[in-house]
Amino acid sequence: MKIRHISYWVLLVTAFLLLASPELAANEESKVVIGPRNALLADGANALLAGNGVEGVRLTLRGLEMAQGEVERKMGHSNLCAGYILIDKPRTALPHCNWVLERYPNHWRTYNNRALVYLRLERFEESEADIARGQELSPSSRNLKIAKGMLLDETDPVRANVEIDERRSAMEDASDDPPND
Amino acid sequence: MRVTILRTTSLGALLAVALVLPAFGQGGVDRVDSNTERLPLHTVIPDYPEVARRDRVEGSVQVCFNISRSGYPRRIAVRHSTSRVFEKIAKKAVRQSTWKPLPDGEQESGIKACRTFRFSLVPVTRDEPD
Repeated sequence: MKIRHISYWVLLVTAFLLLASPELAANEESKVVIGPRNALLADGANALLAGNGVEGVRLTLRGLEMAQGEVERKMGHSNLCAGYILIDKPRTALPHCNWVLERYPNHWRTYNNRALVYLRLERFEESEADIARGQELSPSSRNLKIAKGMLLDETDPVRANVEIDERRSAMEDASDDPPND
Repeated sequence: MRVTILRTTSLGALLAVALVLPAFGQGGVDRVDSNTERLPLHTVIPDYPEVARRDRVEGSVQVCFNISRSGYPRRIAVRHSTSRVFEKIAKKAVRQSTWKPLPDGEQESGIKACRTFRFSLVPVTRDEPD
């Protein structure tokens, strides 16, 4: 099965989590926090961003062991969900995606990642359901649009066709067709 | 990607020009015709926009333009369009296309030519090559 551009948008999802970490730490406590509180989680996210899936997963697993609070655990599992997809271990990724969604059923990024897992496992109906749920939560998400395109390429592949018409009434001919936009 | 080009015969082109000619010189008259007697030299076929293919969007764009004496398109504009996603790439394809230069002594007609691009997606089976 061909799955294109998978690493690109998995990384976009992890990027958000990395950037969020210092801010979240600062919000939870009434003191100035410089840098991320859980450096291993942050380094793991950095490694995933750099495309180093193995190192990203290793650091994230270590960061998760010493995670303090639900927010850090959520980050850890969400990044592991993405990281294991990156290193082509969808079966290992799935429980981490499920962990996040059982506790945070409105986390559209994890629906996006789990849809990828299901796609990789050829569980197309579940992938479609996760994309639909994610799009309910984040209708304009580019990641989810890409995921949907990948799913359609697997379930309903198409060939692109371009026709150039220089006839007199070319556009009127075309307007007989029902709009598909 | 499969590409089809439909063209009128030269007689058809001349007839179309004749039908438009009486409108010359009248204020506010649209001097657009959808074909030309100019012979295409190099026709650029646009790629199907990746975003449109991904989102399963089909559509048509009609681009109208003048052709200079030397065979290059001028004053390129979208005349009709069913989806904006195709407009830029259709205009670019026209901009990169060329026509046979006019021989010395022959007058430019001043009539706009038009080219319609139809973008469609055809279902394929998994085993069929792209």
